[in-house]
Amino acid sequence: MARVITPRQAALWLVFALVMLALPQFVSNGTLRIMIFANFLAIFAMSWDFLSGKTGYVSFGHPFLIGIGGYTTAILSYRFGVPISISIPVAVTATLVGGTLFFLPALRIKGTYFALVTLAFMELMYQLIQVIRPDLTGGTRGMSGIKTMVSGAAPNFYLSFGLMFAIALGLWMLSRTRLGTSLDAISMNEEAVSGSGLNTTRLKLVAFMVSASVAGLGGAFYVHYLGSIAPRALFDINFVFTIIVSALIGGSATIIGPMAGAFFMTFLLEYLRPLLPGSERYFVYGMIALVLYVYQPKGIFAIVSDLRNGKLRLPGRAANGDAA
Amino acid sequence: MATLLELDNVFKRFGGIVATNGLSFTVEKGESLALIGPNGAGKTTIFSLIMGEIRQNSGAIRFKGKDVSNLATHERIKRGIARTYQVPRPFGDMDVAQNIRVGMTPDNLWQMVFGAPDPAAELEIARSVGFRESDLARTPSTLSMGDLRKLELARALATRPEVMLLDEVFAGLTVAEIDQISDLLAQKRREGMTFVIVSHDLRALEPLVDRAVAMTFGKAIAEGSFASVMGDEAVRSAYLGE
Repeated sequence: MARVITPRQAALWLVFALVMLALPQFVSNGTLRIMIFANFLAIFAMSWDFLSGKTGYVSFGHPFLIGIGGYTTAILSYRFGVPISISIPVAVTATLVGGTLFFLPALRIKGTYFALVTLAFMELMYQLIQVIRPDLTGGTRGMSGIKTMVSGAAPNFYLSFGLMFAIALGLWMLSRTRLGTSLDAISMNEEAVSGSGLNTTRLKLVAFMVSASVAGLGGAFYVHYLGSIAPRALFDINFVFTIIVSALIGGSATIIGPMAGAFFMTFLLEYLRPLLPGSERYFVYGMIALVLYVYQPKGIFAIVSDLRNGKLRLPGRAANGDAA
Repeated sequence: MATLLELDNVFKRFGGIVATNGLSFTVEKGESLALIGPNGAGKTTIFSLIMGEIRQNSGAIRFKGKDVSNLATHERIKRGIARTYQVPRPFGDMDVAQNIRVGMTPDNLWQMVFGAPDPAAELEIARSVGFRESDLARTPSTLSMGDLRKLELARALATRPEVMLLDEVFAGLTVAEIDQISDLLAQKRREGMTFVIVSHDLRALEPLVDRAVAMTFGKAIAEGSFASVMGDEAVRSAYLGE
């Protein structure tokens, strides 16, 4: 894996980790709780990004995958007393298998249709989870009192950050290999990727499996952080939008962008809470996403790299060589 | 010479339209064959059939004596067939080097993840089609049509083909660019590359080919040396309505 990470990039990752690990010393427990949610949102946004941002196959059904992971570990540990160290790996495997069974046929259809099919899966799961074996799933009310792994804001922050950091670094390095380049190419022109001698079905399947594993892992840890799971909050269209908008605001297909986007979105929504207690907040974030999208469709990531390269463009004016 | 590519009585229908009507021809190793015919004759369809982008209704397509009719496009490319398109299809957000890199990427997950790209080989391919080192970082939106055609050729060459199918390789080019691409193809021919070339620019095409197949309405109407095919009555009437 030559040249996947330069010394300078490694140093930046290290600084990021150190700053985040020092954070509990400086911020309130309330802020840490927000950060924990941001870590989980970042995991989901990066999972979405590895499939949808990279290949252009937009998933509107990520909570379907997160739900398989979350429910599997919740049922195993809450109903059957299975230790978390076993229930989480089983949950990730279940997400992989269950997700692949449903999504694989969908990877043959393109564009809007793929998005709609994935959205349908999420809705289907929402309905089914309430009626099939409610004695296991807890039906409409879900389950609470699920085992947690650690308690307190700081330990939970460390745990969620550790998981998020490992996933971010792993996905980022993976996206810098030729696998990542080939997945990016699929979003630009799938026929030409196939015309370059690459099996696009297999590439999409790999992207999907990586994405599903991360979603399942994140979903399982999230449930053990919350100590509860409820279908209404999980299979919620607002949750899907929060994941997708985080990835887009941050800059899709970049892994780091969606991570930054998740933190931006979480704090935005939290700070808007006192001003707009209801779902009007979503209107504000919709507006911000729209403005940012008009200004720089490639998100915060592109704005930061433009700033670094000293070629930040003004609204309505294309940067050099970016005319098309 | 050994036969590299063979079409054997290939039929392809799109609804009521017969795009390829029992076409047969062979391409020998090291040979350069022109595929000519008026608009709508079915030339591009032939390329799509050879690549497996569409499948024939009947007939066989053989490469090195083996029937490849049931193989997926990427499998045919791995065996050594590559094509370029009438309208260049670069990866828009990638620079020239990355475009070539996708073409060079082996279809093997382990190597994709753990193998390193080879910038020296990328540069060599870029140079072989006339790019300079400074062009490697350019994105397709900044390239001229001539450069986009070169990028198409580079991406096709990156798959290490034995036969290249070039579709309207001179379309949209300036006279200088046509000369440049012609020189490039002549060079590749000397190096032993096998070509099937579709072009409406017959003047540019003539010096680059050994043989021609003329077709209209999906059927071959003449085959032989370029001059003899162009002098053929049926070809003249198909082209000019004479």
